[in-house]
Amino acid sequence: MLTMTQIRKSFGGIEVLHGVDFTVEPGQVHALVGHNGAGKSTLMKVLGGLYHDYSGTITLDGRTQHLRTPKESLDAGVAIIYQDFALVPDLDVAHNIALGREPGGRGWGGVAHRALARRSAQEAERFGITLPMTTPVRRLGVADQQLTEIVRALARDVSYLVMDEPTARLAPAERAQLFRIIAQLAERGVGVVYISHFLDEVVEVADVVTVLRDGAVRAVGPASDWTADTLARELVGEDEIGDRPVVPAPGGPAAPARSETGAGAARLEVRALAVEGRPPTDLTVAAGEIVALAGLVGSGRTRWARALIGDLRTEGRVLVDGRPLGRRNPRTSARAGLLLVPEDRKVNGLVLTGSVRENIELTALGTHLSRGGLVRLATVDRVVRDLLARFRVLPPRPEILTKNLSGGNAQKVLVARAVAARPKAIVLDQPTAGVDIGAKAELHTQVRSMAAAGTAVVVISDDLDEMLDLADRVVVLANGQMIQDAPAASFDRASLLAAMSRTAVA
Amino acid sequence: MSAVTETSDAAQTPLWRRVTTALGRRGGSSLLAGILALLVLSQLLTTPAFGRWANIANILQQNSIIGIVACGMLLMIILGGFDLSVGAVGAMSSVLAATVIVHVGTPAGIVAAVLAGLAVGAANGAFVALLGMSPFVVTLGTQSVVLGGLFVATQANPVYGVPESFTRLGLGRIAGIPIVTIIFAAVVVVIWATLRFSRFGHYVYAVGGNREAARLGGVNVPLVTIGTYAIGGTLAGLAGVLLLAQTGIGQPAAASTWALSAIAAVVVGGVPLSGGVGKVSAAVLGTFLLGVVSNALNLNGVSSYWQPMVTGFVILIAVGIDSYQRQRRASR
Ligand SMILES: Nc1ncnc2c1ncn2[C@@H]1O[C@H](COP(=O)(O)OP(=O)(O)OP(=O)(O)O)[C@@H](O)[C@H]1O
Ligand SMILES: [Mg+2]
Repeated sequence: MLTMTQIRKSFGGIEVLHGVDFTVEPGQVHALVGHNGAGKSTLMKVLGGLYHDYSGTITLDGRTQHLRTPKESLDAGVAIIYQDFALVPDLDVAHNIALGREPGGRGWGGVAHRALARRSAQEAERFGITLPMTTPVRRLGVADQQLTEIVRALARDVSYLVMDEPTARLAPAERAQLFRIIAQLAERGVGVVYISHFLDEVVEVADVVTVLRDGAVRAVGPASDWTADTLARELVGEDEIGDRPVVPAPGGPAAPARSETGAGAARLEVRALAVEGRPPTDLTVAAGEIVALAGLVGSGRTRWARALIGDLRTEGRVLVDGRPLGRRNPRTSARAGLLLVPEDRKVNGLVLTGSVRENIELTALGTHLSRGGLVRLATVDRVVRDLLARFRVLPPRPEILTKNLSGGNAQKVLVARAVAARPKAIVLDQPTAGVDIGAKAELHTQVRSMAAAGTAVVVISDDLDEMLDLADRVVVLANGQMIQDAPAASFDRASLLAAMSRTAVA
Repeated sequence: MSAVTETSDAAQTPLWRRVTTALGRRGGSSLLAGILALLVLSQLLTTPAFGRWANIANILQQNSIIGIVACGMLLMIILGGFDLSVGAVGAMSSVLAATVIVHVGTPAGIVAAVLAGLAVGAANGAFVALLGMSPFVVTLGTQSVVLGGLFVATQANPVYGVPESFTRLGLGRIAGIPIVTIIFAAVVVVIWATLRFSRFGHYVYAVGGNREAARLGGVNVPLVTIGTYAIGGTLAGLAGVLLLAQTGIGQPAAASTWALSAIAAVVVGGVPLSGGVGKVSAAVLGTFLLGVVSNALNLNGVSSYWQPMVTGFVILIAVGIDSYQRQRRASR
């Protein structure tokens, strides 16, 4: 049994964990839920030996552990899949999986590369996961990176496994696969800690749920005592929600703010955009319209988005408000009012060493937040504070370093940057990855109000509910080809999933 | 299950750690300011000569030029790079200035030397930005090219004949303050204002922090890179002119230690080489910390052979403390 007792942890004099008790039994799937910044990741990092200055006791199977380095934690039989990946970008998948456990080769410090590749492939296969073993990790999409992390942790044969928001970036098919793996592990007696903001998954997958709010445990109990809705209330704090249902019923009533499809003039026009040998695509998005770009992982949604803003060299034309963008690159696109919010906030999204202010102002500095090469500091300050409040970023301090934010709050900052730039057209790639249920609704409100102000919005998401809830129209992409384009109202979860999967086979 | 509670309550934290943490929380440079203050204080108490204005003016005089170079270096370090060619550029510009001053005139000499610095800096930036070469390789290369060219052109002979009046710029004082120090102060203010108020300055932080994010966010990364290195080169050129004004001789072999001294000053000031962060105060404090240390050694009659060693230890200790704290505070 894994017991954490009275865990406290402070950053720079501010306590974020206020004496947390947490217990996991062998063979148990224990869900840890809480709002963004509640302290879930911090608690697990304590367990992972990342902090030397926590207080409290950790015992593993009766023995008191002093977990002050990741190695001590691993040796004690705990593996953690962190929310933000800890992969080596230039090593290939096989080597990342084997990292720290490389089979020795001949000679001193040699590595048997061939044996390693074979072993890593076998380890992935054991859990039914297929990965391109020889591809450097930096060239993988986030979903495959996530799977690499999972295989790496699973391969260690640990007795406790922590997964910090493993499904935040997985599509439905991979999620189902992950849940099978979790069940398999639990059967073998591994204690699994599962952190997620998908509360319906939580009640389905977990045996026990611990709710963390503002660094303290609010509730512990069997998962069967909860529904997604009661859990959401517990997690956000009852009073904040009122009577409004927190979790919209799947395929439920359309949002009131939704505009009529095609009501506005064409804002974003994509003509014969061809991504690397794939067939050309056409798409028109009207002012105020929200289009969901649906597709399985690997269907080419992210590449399409990068091609759109000129980050990948492509054929084809892109028009904003009828004006063609000449030589497209991310900068000229941004100037013309076409933005991409990238899916990977850590690698190419945020400037982690910079403050929240620096991150939010970044794109808008090129337009209305500077004049004559000088930054309009007072305006920046006002805009940033306003956005921090609107997005409910916690803590709402402009000068806090972005790397010190919790994952969900960092994601909000990334979207806030785009909002600050007042785009004419925007592509949001997985905009709510890792965002809690209350904040997700907030983010959706922000996206809708951006659309209401006339922005053409394209949303890429693996979250079916999100697409159906947010979009006016759904375009399904498979192998880089747009194979279906229909009003969102004509889909429900099942038919959308079917549309996405059917085409993958064809 | 014995409950051995691991605490790090204030009561059990050693005093020195609490002090350094408190200082560190306010940024590396206040810690450094503390060290500098302590050093100055102990010097004042033990070595009376140290506190005389003549000596203080001397310290200012001797360190202002490298301080100017350090300001440029700071920008390039924030951008995630650095420049090894500043010494070569300094020597080149002092020789060029001397030659043009002798043959054409003083203003033309100054302008030519500063522009030459700008050109080399811009070339450095272009190689880094457009070809994606590492700053180390690029600036090592230009350093060698510039220095080689300089020796070919001068046959390693110094250039004499700069008018007496010109050296007043390097050695003169206004109200007791060395003119070079006034120029240094002006450079500090300009760089400070650039980093704080200009869009370019904000972009420098963003590009240094995460190049990809800046690019996708719509920043013209090549232009920012070239601009940063051009400023670095310009300041090195200016420093070369001032060096000429101090010595009166255009010396091809001069300034060979500038690059490492300037980098040392910036990192001693608490700026990590990884980029994305840094303030002008760090470059100023770092410059004077190293300057005061060497002055103190001089005053106490320590052989000059010892000085590099002591400077080395200062770098290791100052940067060591800073990194140690960063590590403690950080955490993924
Ligand atoms: N290195 C750090 N320095 C300062 N504050 C930090 C640091 N890491 C986390 N925090 C703060 O601790 C609090 C808890 O963060 P944590 O990452 O544990 O949240 P979380 O529950 O995992 O949230 P999310 O769902 O968004 O991932 C947040 O307020 C965060 O800003
Ligand atoms: Mg987290």
